[in-house]
Amino acid sequence: MRTEKGLDGQLLKRIVGYLMPYKHWVILAFCLVLVVSFLGPLRPWLISIAIDQHIVTGELDGLYLLIYALLGAIVLEGVLGYANAYFTQWIGQQAIYDVRVRVFRHVQKQSLSFFDKTPIGRLITRTTSDVEALADVLSAGIVVIMGDMFKLLFIAAFMFSLNWVLAIVTLGVMPFMVLVTMWFKRNVRGQYRETRKQVARLNSFMQEHVTGMLIVQLFGREKVEMKRFEHINDEHQTAQLKTVFYHSIFWPAVDIIASTAIGFILWTGGVSAIGGALTVGVLIAFIQYCRQFFEPIRNLSEQFNTLQSAMAGAERIFDVLDHDQSLPDTNAQNPPTGFEGEIVFDDVWFAYKHLDDGTPDWVLRGVSFKIDRGQNAAIVGATGSGKTTIISLLMRFYDIQKGQILIDGQDIRTIRIKFLRWRIGLVLQDVFLFSGSVYRNIALDNPDISLEQVKQAAQAIGAHQFIERLPGQYHHDVRERGLSLSQGQRQLLSFVRVLAYDPDILVLDEATSSIDTETEHMIQHALERVLQGRTSLVVAHRLSTIRHADQILVLHKGVLREQGTHDDLVDSGGLYQTLYELQYREQQLMMDRTE
Amino acid sequence: MQSLTRLNHYFIRYWRLYVPGLLFTMISAVFAIAVPVVVRQAIDSLPKFERIYRQFEATAIEHPLYWDFFWTILIFGLVIIALSLSNGFFTFLMRQTVVVASRHIEFDIRNTLYEHLQKLSNSFYHHTKTGDVITRATSDIEQVRRYIGPAIMYITRALVIVIAAITAMLVISPTLTMYALMPLSLLAVSIFVVAQLVHKRSEALQRQYAQLTSRVQETLSGIRLVKAYARETTETQAFEQESRLYKIKMLGLARVEAAWRPVFLVVVGLSEIMVVWIGGQLVADGIITIGNVAEYIIYVALMTWPVAAFGLVISMMQRASASAERIYEVLDQDPDISDTSLTDPLIQTIDGCVTFDRVSFRYQDGLPYALEDISFQVPAGQSLAIVGRTGSGKTTLIDLICRLYEPTHGHISIDDQDLQKLPLATLRDSIGYVPQDVFLFSDTIGNNIAFGTVDATEDEILQSSLEAELHETIVEFADGLDSEVGERGVSLSGGQAQRTTIARALIRNPRILILDDALSSVDTKTENRILEHLRRRHGHHTMFLISHRISSIRGADQIIVLEQGRIAERGTHESLMESEGLYAQMYQRQLLEERLEAIQ
Repeated sequence: MRTEKGLDGQLLKRIVGYLMPYKHWVILAFCLVLVVSFLGPLRPWLISIAIDQHIVTGELDGLYLLIYALLGAIVLEGVLGYANAYFTQWIGQQAIYDVRVRVFRHVQKQSLSFFDKTPIGRLITRTTSDVEALADVLSAGIVVIMGDMFKLLFIAAFMFSLNWVLAIVTLGVMPFMVLVTMWFKRNVRGQYRETRKQVARLNSFMQEHVTGMLIVQLFGREKVEMKRFEHINDEHQTAQLKTVFYHSIFWPAVDIIASTAIGFILWTGGVSAIGGALTVGVLIAFIQYCRQFFEPIRNLSEQFNTLQSAMAGAERIFDVLDHDQSLPDTNAQNPPTGFEGEIVFDDVWFAYKHLDDGTPDWVLRGVSFKIDRGQNAAIVGATGSGKTTIISLLMRFYDIQKGQILIDGQDIRTIRIKFLRWRIGLVLQDVFLFSGSVYRNIALDNPDISLEQVKQAAQAIGAHQFIERLPGQYHHDVRERGLSLSQGQRQLLSFVRVLAYDPDILVLDEATSSIDTETEHMIQHALERVLQGRTSLVVAHRLSTIRHADQILVLHKGVLREQGTHDDLVDSGGLYQTLYELQYREQQLMMDRTE
Repeated sequence: MQSLTRLNHYFIRYWRLYVPGLLFTMISAVFAIAVPVVVRQAIDSLPKFERIYRQFEATAIEHPLYWDFFWTILIFGLVIIALSLSNGFFTFLMRQTVVVASRHIEFDIRNTLYEHLQKLSNSFYHHTKTGDVITRATSDIEQVRRYIGPAIMYITRALVIVIAAITAMLVISPTLTMYALMPLSLLAVSIFVVAQLVHKRSEALQRQYAQLTSRVQETLSGIRLVKAYARETTETQAFEQESRLYKIKMLGLARVEAAWRPVFLVVVGLSEIMVVWIGGQLVADGIITIGNVAEYIIYVALMTWPVAAFGLVISMMQRASASAERIYEVLDQDPDISDTSLTDPLIQTIDGCVTFDRVSFRYQDGLPYALEDISFQVPAGQSLAIVGRTGSGKTTLIDLICRLYEPTHGHISIDDQDLQKLPLATLRDSIGYVPQDVFLFSDTIGNNIAFGTVDATEDEILQSSLEAELHETIVEFADGLDSEVGERGVSLSGGQAQRTTIARALIRNPRILILDDALSSVDTKTENRILEHLRRRHGHHTMFLISHRISSIRGADQIIVLEQGRIAERGTHESLMESEGLYAQMYQRQLLEERLEAIQ
């Protein structure tokens, strides 16, 4: 046997651990499978008695009893077999459900730095198809393997009890069966891999060319691409034909071996029957056992494969579960009523990643500032100066390396994450929409936010009118094709959301993209509305925002360079003045022109 | 089932495989059916042998008699082995013909489908999802193949075996046959029912699986929002709900799938019991022999799979028919843009003078016009730049030149010939197109550049890569032109990929060169160098240029500003600057932006 990396006991133990909550049911399943694997081999034995003691001798009186027994055995085997098959699935699916939810919870709990590094596609695979592979072991795997082994044992036991010579003859053929099966499995497994590869090639060619058909047509490549496709298609066919070849050999071979066993049994059995050592009934029973023997052997080899692929999936899942990068949360009591709203950054240093030489790649270097309760603060700076990072840190998407961030004098690491984020409202630059209704996208499935509240918020923001014009109003599906929302409308929705959630502190990353004047006015209005009476921190791109700010923080290359109001800074001849010239002057000009 | 009859010509095409294949099927079935007969004779001869042997026990001929019987029984055994070997041999041949033929047909259908897909125009791809097309080319073809291969094989073999077995059984005892077949006939029906249920439920399960996946996808894509609003609990609940539904669907499937084995077991078991019970009485009455009972038991075992196949095959045919319908749906689509009777096949080359005469276009009736009343003329060798906001119709205009769509009103002509008159191949061969969305094939960078040419030399590839400012990049790659670009060009940076598409267009030396926002991922310095190369080609090709950067279009011979599908302004850079309209505003704004960039 090849040494397979997948089959290690430790891993298997851990997988089986997920069955522990259902151990009583597993035990029951084992009992069921035990009975079922006994009933199958019982039937030929009963038939042999029926033939030998009743049919051959002509004493039909007792035959009824045996017929009833046979009937009972078959019905019981059917019913229990059904129950067992369903039952093992049931156990497996319960366990799989647990695993799946656990993986999901775990992934969701991770800090954003985890998501920055891990492609979403990979995480989706972990919660879906990898878990699916595991299902094969948990549901049928172990119980079925046991069942097949029992079955082989019972068949052997029955055979030996009937006639040990014939039992040995039959068993003598079995190694060939095992060999052929193993030969087939080995070849076919390699071939399946090849076939899968070819199918994948075919699919990705299709995918690529259907997506890029325009290019194919515009560059007049139809003939060449057709040839390439034919070539890939041809290789796919070759791989398939090889698989067909192995199947063509395997199935007849299995039949030949089983028949050979029958031939041998007839011969040895027949010869000993002449001496009276064997009855016809026993002979017939053995013919049946020959056929029964094969199924468990084939199943077992199949199960072994499934087990291996499941192990690979399990390994990947455990790899995710074992690496926890979630931020440490506290069990501290929440402040009774929410935040007053004073924000302090005290010598904050932060890096997303480390440079190759191991030193942190600082994005913020010793940033300190204080925003008083109710103040509106604006952060300005060039792209890459660290503006958005400040927001992410206040939301505690990441933990800082040095310094302290305080809200109402309390370090945010001592506040429960859930509470912190609940009391701080965030409006992001690019608005992500979930599938589903406008209402769902505003309330985010929060049962505490009623449709009425959403409507009120929308009215306050000025989004009510356009929502009312949508086909289903608040129940309009935002992903419906053709009627998707404009960028401006999406932004308005995110303002409605933050207002409906009614946070103590508002954090906002203003969109840079210019929108038409009408929407611009609406957003302007919306912004003023949400800022009202809240401490706020805004990454500013709008002239009006910086003009109205109580405090402007000028950030350059991770360092807080200037601080003050617009009027303080605009003529100071510093960094702000240059930034203003570049980023906001144009808006000033535009405004002057329209006015 | 009607769509399946459209597949018949494939059977005729591969009659060389099908005719022997069906013959092998029948031969193998006959051998299979002969085994029980031998078993019966062997078993029936045993009591006779035993009786005779006992009569002559302890006599002189006991010994030779024993060996005589010994060899006779050995021959029975060997005959069985020989029969099953022959059966196996022909089964092998059967699979190697019928199943192989089905693979050939699969190959043919897939080629036909792909060839047809290449002919279909842009509008087809507009309203058909990529995944949908791929499903038809893969799993639908597989469903059809199962019908033309395995299904036909099963049903033929099943028919032969069932008919032969029933005949053999009827000869022995009509009564016993009737009783033995009673439960078996149920098998076909129940297998059909189970197969249908399994199919329906696994489809429902598949749908739920997709739902579950998209749920995870959504939560993880919006993780920032989920975290910011502390919605983890509700997201988990929603996920749990989907998982629960998945579990329920899975168990729903398990409930019917668990029935497979028991159905077989009970039905076949019942037949067996019938054989023993009724057969036993018949043996006692002396109507049949004990060997017949054994023979019947084997017949029943032998017929199990063929009878089940009837149910299975009907279910397979149903699916194949639905799949064939979906495949023919694509094949029946006429390419709406192709050469027609209006086409003049003699036109092999063009000069490149493009004229739009009051052209309007909309994608569908009822939709607003994407382009309205567009007229212009670009003399051969000159250039036209198009500017305008996103959605103003710039790309649509380009698509019309390439004849990806036909104009709704008005005329487009090249060298005074209507576009309809130009053979499609001539038109497309004359165009070098650099699309807005960079699309590369997962091939080497060299092959990607040479994509639209026949037998381009390495020198030509390098020459065009020089012009596209890609040369230095290629030199840096370890494998040079043979470097793989990865799926859709992932291993290249945005700028590298874009420059590859430029080289791909330039190597064709096209009469008409189209750059649709083709320098967006290239930095200003490189952009200027590429523009410089292009200027040297001025006069050699007609050029259409879409760009957001005024700096790259100011040198164009003509500039048009599109606003909501109409031409709002037209002229040269100088004349447009003077008129102080939209164009001038855009220019001012960009100057500021450039200054900002310079500071950063």
